[in-house]
Amino acid sequence: MLCDSCGKNPVTTHIKTIINGELTEYSLCAECAQRLGYGNLLTGLGCDYGSLLGGFFGGAELDDPVRCKCCGATFDDIMRSGQVGCAQCYHTFYDRLIPLIQRIHGNTRHRGKVPGGGALQSRPQEQLSLMRRELREAIDAENFEHAASLRDRIKELEGGKAHE
Amino acid sequence: MNSPNPGCEEDVVIRTQIHLIRNLTDVPFCAKMSRADRQKLSERVAEAFSGNEALSHLFQFTDMESLSRVEAVSLVERHLVSADFISDRRGRGFFVNADETVSIMVNEEDHIHLQSSEVGLNPQKAFAAADSLDDILDKCLGFAFDENLGYLTQNPVNLGTGMRASLTLHLPALREGGGISRISSNLSKLRLALRGTFGSGVEPKGAVYQLSNHVTFGLSEQEAIANLQSIAMQLIEQERAARKELAESLEIQDTVSRSLAILQSAKMMANEEFMQLISNVRFGVAAGLIDPIDYGEINRLMVLVQPATLTFYSGKKLTPAERRSLRAEKIRDFLQKPSP
Repeated sequence: MLCDSCGKNPVTTHIKTIINGELTEYSLCAECAQRLGYGNLLTGLGCDYGSLLGGFFGGAELDDPVRCKCCGATFDDIMRSGQVGCAQCYHTFYDRLIPLIQRIHGNTRHRGKVPGGGALQSRPQEQLSLMRRELREAIDAENFEHAASLRDRIKELEGGKAHE
Repeated sequence: MNSPNPGCEEDVVIRTQIHLIRNLTDVPFCAKMSRADRQKLSERVAEAFSGNEALSHLFQFTDMESLSRVEAVSLVERHLVSADFISDRRGRGFFVNADETVSIMVNEEDHIHLQSSEVGLNPQKAFAAADSLDDILDKCLGFAFDENLGYLTQNPVNLGTGMRASLTLHLPALREGGGISRISSNLSKLRLALRGTFGSGVEPKGAVYQLSNHVTFGLSEQEAIANLQSIAMQLIEQERAARKELAESLEIQDTVSRSLAILQSAKMMANEEFMQLISNVRFGVAAGLIDPIDYGEINRLMVLVQPATLTFYSGKKLTPAERRSLRAEKIRDFLQKPSP
């Protein structure tokens, strides 16, 4: 199947959209998907990257008896479909999923919202990062009074004393 | 400058949307669910809403299977659900509040896809609404979360915050200058996407684009929003500079005036033609070439005359010719209203 946009390369991405009141599906090659802004790892908003995980693992077959107790998926199932079966799968296949997640995201630790706390009450490291950014902006804007106050608060959060 | 919401950059930014995706801990993800499983989950989420006094008054539930095709497409045109969501409506449910600023898709790619919209550039406000609803639903339903991986999702690319922030931008001058592909390619290096809406994406009608973040992992919600906002401000400035230059051209001034005149007097109007003409008029308003028209009203018109939405609100089946005629009538009515 060839790309709907260039008509030359094989299709890697399917996009559903509404055109003139009709549900339409476009099939695009990797190059056109990139050119049209669908090239990155975006899903849930109209893109399909079903074969992504399979691609990362080179489509290797695994003879693995371990199944997730919640959904019955094997690691091979996850690889083939590109989709994790359930939340429990992440724990069942944790060690094998981590290298893949590292390849996708390049970072294996979540920062940001933790359930129950609300995203605005973020972790101290996050607050620090935001405050450092604000400090740089304050210095750039020559707002030195605000910068000094921010510097003190950053020191406090880092565990040092504000006025030594 | 015509801006009733200062700081929202409405001359360029049409709307801000925040999406949060969440899953329950004790149910397989959507690809592994049967239609009956989906229905059960949809009912469970509906119970969570009805069991909460505030939410039960604010949100209305719709079983997607109960909708006609036109109603379902209209939900996409009104930016309340995704095109993927209506492609298979079995076992899928949808919640929306009265002013259609917050909606929830149940059983899209993940169990819960919550989205919050604001007019213009306003990610903080859109995020605050999504975040507080997320807290309430989490208490009732218990979302799957891991300390290291964040919110657990069907596709690992969404792990972490499970948040996408997107801005709908009107970029007629950058498009005219042919700079969109270069910008889009540079943005993809920063893991942001810029893509056309209203059309196949190859040459989007109306120069309407969507800018969104890709990074959900290793970055907090606030940091992701700050990054998107900072890039958006640069794009907005580039678009304004390009508009200033374009507005000096007599040819462009002529195009804007003619576009307004056609919209004011046409008896039949195809959707694609409308999108191009209203884009010219929106540009003309921003550049001060024609009298001010409220941006919010223009945005509403752009949604209301979309094919399925126009048909849905007319309450009857329309032939293509009737649709073009009704669209032209709505546009004429809109442009006859006194200017602010």
